[in-house]
Amino acid sequence: MNPLSEQPLLSVKDLTLRFGGLYALNKINFEMHAHETLGMIGPNGSGKSSFVNVLTGHFTPLSGEMKFDTQNMLGCNSNQLVQMGLCRTYQAVRVFVNLTVQKNIEIAQLMLDSAGLSESEFNHYLHWLNLTPILGKLAKDVTLFEQRKLELMMRLVLRPKLLMLDEPVGGLATSEVNEMIQLLKELKSYCSIFVIEHTMRVIKELADRVVVLIAGEKIADGPPAEILNNKRVINEYLGSAHA
Amino acid sequence: MKIKPLHILTVVFILMLPFLVEENRFLGFVLGVTFINIFWATGMNVLYGFVGLMPLMFAAISGIAAYALIYFIAEWHLDFWLALPIATLFASFVGVVLGLPSLRLRGFYFTLCSLIIQSTLTLAFIFFPKFTNGDTGINQISPPLWYGEPMKGHPFECMLSVLTLLGIGVAYYIYQSKLGMRFMAIREDDVLAESLGINVVKNKVIAFFIVSLYAAIGGCFYATYIGFISPRSFDVLSSLNIWLYVAFGGKATIAGPVIGAMLLAPLPFLLQSLEAYKDILSGVLIVLITLIMPGGIFGAYLTRRNAKK
Repeated sequence: MNPLSEQPLLSVKDLTLRFGGLYALNKINFEMHAHETLGMIGPNGSGKSSFVNVLTGHFTPLSGEMKFDTQNMLGCNSNQLVQMGLCRTYQAVRVFVNLTVQKNIEIAQLMLDSAGLSESEFNHYLHWLNLTPILGKLAKDVTLFEQRKLELMMRLVLRPKLLMLDEPVGGLATSEVNEMIQLLKELKSYCSIFVIEHTMRVIKELADRVVVLIAGEKIADGPPAEILNNKRVINEYLGSAHA
Repeated sequence: MKIKPLHILTVVFILMLPFLVEENRFLGFVLGVTFINIFWATGMNVLYGFVGLMPLMFAAISGIAAYALIYFIAEWHLDFWLALPIATLFASFVGVVLGLPSLRLRGFYFTLCSLIIQSTLTLAFIFFPKFTNGDTGINQISPPLWYGEPMKGHPFECMLSVLTLLGIGVAYYIYQSKLGMRFMAIREDDVLAESLGINVVKNKVIAFFIVSLYAAIGGCFYATYIGFISPRSFDVLSSLNIWLYVAFGGKATIAGPVIGAMLLAPLPFLLQSLEAYKDILSGVLIVLITLIMPGGIFGAYLTRRNAKK
């Protein structure tokens, strides 16, 4: 490995976020390398979404350091981070519901403009996500699964280095979950993925490494097999039925 | 940009209008005022229709431009055509500053804030008589010179028709451009827009600058065309009227504000005997539009056409 690739893609040092008296994130230390798929799990309210929100510039942390691709991210707006190659999706699906699927994708392409994807790449993604048949429909008239895929498409045209997915299979039917897991596995070859999930199957099948957050603190970090058998994780989050 | 026969017809029609009423001074005047209102409505649509912010301080920005223009002409002895861009840029700068709350406030809350700004500025117009001659207003504003001749009546209306067309053209260009798409993204969901790499703050500031340009240019021509302005000319009712033209015709379309202003702006003049009921009529229209046709006339037409397809 050359020394450059050993630099972490994302590194976070002593990151703390406070809402009044509540520490949403308490001194989180965290590193992620390129081409690594990282899962984050934890009970509701443990700070997973807050973590993504801080990293993508929606919240300003109280203290700590954040670096993406060796550049300092602290104080960057979300739109600047997107230009650096850090994209995200939202827990509740978020597309421009009143516009057509086509227009949604066109808007996502605005940032890179001509420097964006070549036409063949674009068509490849479109075909891969099977969005071609619904291009003319309003985004609010397509299924949740299609909206989730549209969200992926809108990030892919931005050429992300790292894509942070907040519960990508939330609300999907079982068959769709399988399909989405398959898509996410293939997505790994396009960019690095950071994924928050409650569905352990997604984590097991997708993640190379799992980070567990509980009450704003990182309590475990390691390969899925190890984490899912960790006593503390089972006691405080998974429950004994899982083990 | 696609140009359809209908577009050319509209352009010719608007250019022809002043000649159709050339003989009748009263109708000519109504037409002139309508042109200015179309221009204003088209401008407000850029912010209200495209970006989704309702700027009720619109008339105040027009007022600032109009008073600045008159001040520059009277005190600095500038020519109208020189004072126009200076006053316009000055008012647009003020407009951008007044738009800053929109960076934090959305939807209804921004509208409320803009309403307060509008009311404050109307009061400011009254309480700074040094610049505005207070509630009495300024009359006998001299018309602009065109090759040494004061421009009045028919020639002025011809120029207003060209100005109106320019205004519509610019709005159409924005509507179709990448900038227009960014505006639309911000209107639909500004958080999502930001997460797709669109700089929401920058684009909102740009939008405010454009809208203020429209308000200001309209204000300067309004003052010199009518020849009289007072704080009443630029009060909250004026802002609401312009908003009504946009909403009635159809926001976020190009034809909408034009149709709205063409239908509604001449009404107060043509129904002068009903002067007392003018504001009641506006009020009723506002309620009806929001309840029955949220997309306005043109919006309802588009919905119907799409449903038939």
